[in-house]
Amino acid sequence: MISKVLIAYDGSQQAERAYEFGLDMALKYGAQVIVLSVARPPEPPVNVELQAVVESATEHYHELFNELKAKAAVREIEPQFEVRVGHPAEQIVHFAEENGADVIVMGHRGESFLQRWLLGSVAKRVLSYAHCTVVVVR
Amino acid sequence: MTDTWFLATLWLGLAMLATLLSIWLRIATALSEIVVGTVAQLIIGAVISSSVLGAHEPWIKFLAGTGAIILTFLAGAELDPDVFKIKWKEATALGIAGFVAPFLGCAALAYYVLGWDVRASWLAGVALSTTSVAVVYAVMLETGLNKTIYGKVVLAGCFINDLGTVLALGLIFAPFTIRTLIFVGVSVVVFAVLPYLTPRFFKKYGNRPSELETKFLLLCLFGMGALAGWAESEAVLPAYVIGMVLAGTVGKDHVLIRRLRTVTFGLLTPFYFIRAGSFVSVPALIAGYGVFLILLFGKMATKFVAVYPVTKFYKSPGKEAMYTTLLMSTGLTFGSISALFGLSHNIIDTAQYSFLIAAVVGSAVVPTLIANAFFLPWHLLRSADQEQASASKPTGESFPLEEGESI
Repeated sequence: MISKVLIAYDGSQQAERAYEFGLDMALKYGAQVIVLSVARPPEPPVNVELQAVVESATEHYHELFNELKAKAAVREIEPQFEVRVGHPAEQIVHFAEENGADVIVMGHRGESFLQRWLLGSVAKRVLSYAHCTVVVVR
Repeated sequence: MTDTWFLATLWLGLAMLATLLSIWLRIATALSEIVVGTVAQLIIGAVISSSVLGAHEPWIKFLAGTGAIILTFLAGAELDPDVFKIKWKEATALGIAGFVAPFLGCAALAYYVLGWDVRASWLAGVALSTTSVAVVYAVMLETGLNKTIYGKVVLAGCFINDLGTVLALGLIFAPFTIRTLIFVGVSVVVFAVLPYLTPRFFKKYGNRPSELETKFLLLCLFGMGALAGWAESEAVLPAYVIGMVLAGTVGKDHVLIRRLRTVTFGLLTPFYFIRAGSFVSVPALIAGYGVFLILLFGKMATKFVAVYPVTKFYKSPGKEAMYTTLLMSTGLTFGSISALFGLSHNIIDTAQYSFLIAAVVGSAVVPTLIANAFFLPWHLLRSADQEQASASKPTGESFPLEEGESI
């Protein structure tokens, strides 16, 4: 039984597809939807720039959430929206646990080799450490 | 004037390149700008001439210096004064421990092990004594500790640590003449008056298109910077303290802070960080990489030895004490400002400057890489108790992937 769907959303095309998929899944199971976006600090975080990046990302996501709300309203779903700060994989896994999500739905971005080496693949880490089912939408 | 526009185009081109690299690689813009400055100087110097970049041009020096001053002011303005008022003892203890140990330890290392002269050794101690507030703050945001008293105390401690760094930088190399006394006296009066005067002044004349607030702040920063320079001290010292004393008033005006950030990141800091990077000598760094490693190790070891016991003493929650301690790395801003101060005042030579910048960058990058590569999975793994508690819950099957396997 799926009662809570967590959709990881970063504004990319893949995330849009994951959002649509997550809404369909929630509609089918009558589940609650939580949309989580993560503001990622630069590496390494630097004075002043960090605060600026976090503020700007949070604002950006809140604007995107308005569009997502409209899409969900068509299906008569009222998602809950959240923005966290940190490494996306870590935040998605922690948030899913904290909120007792039954399934995490996320897209898979084609990260470059260097990004994977420096930060690791987000989808891979979520798959490895999530307490619940993870759906990676391609 | 045409030459100036050409040079400005070159610098802004490098700034654009650095910004794009920082976006593609998701690294800090400051780090990217330092590296771009180093590589650009290396390539342009080898192909054309080392003077092409014009890092010693007075107007480039002015823009870079202004960038350092405003960046330092903004860094100070991020302090949360309310927490500091409540938990000043803990924050001060942590800050002093975080400053004194690497300051004395790295200075001793430079003097006794590397054989640097006294002034260069003190400067090494100063450059490596700073703590990156941003790195610690990022950890706090990620773990949610920024909302706890513990998290706020650690952050306030980092500000005290950096205050120690700018005080040391501003006063150790000052000649202690009557000028120093005048500088200190005027500073104390200005720091005491500004928190009272500024909000009232802004309330009466501010919020207009003429940007009175920005002009007033720049007037204070330039004025105190000039006084610091006259007393043979360093302009970032008053800038940081002005930021701290105005944190509770100006620091909370998000619109004003954003306007200052726009001009700082858009024009000023690229000149500062690219210029700082352009003075790094790659051949010297390669030839003496052992020195860089010694400084990096010294910095991390001394910081760990001093900070970890203090965080445990103030009952830091379990793993976070270790994590926080590891991440109390050198900040790029104050580390590079200190090193550049040393180079421009002939306290250190180009090779020593290169080692210090490399150690500053290394101590900012290495802990982040360690945290990402090793700590993150540990952090994500639930404890045995949690596993047992959740065993009864119907959850999806986990299937850790093998390293190198992709999806």
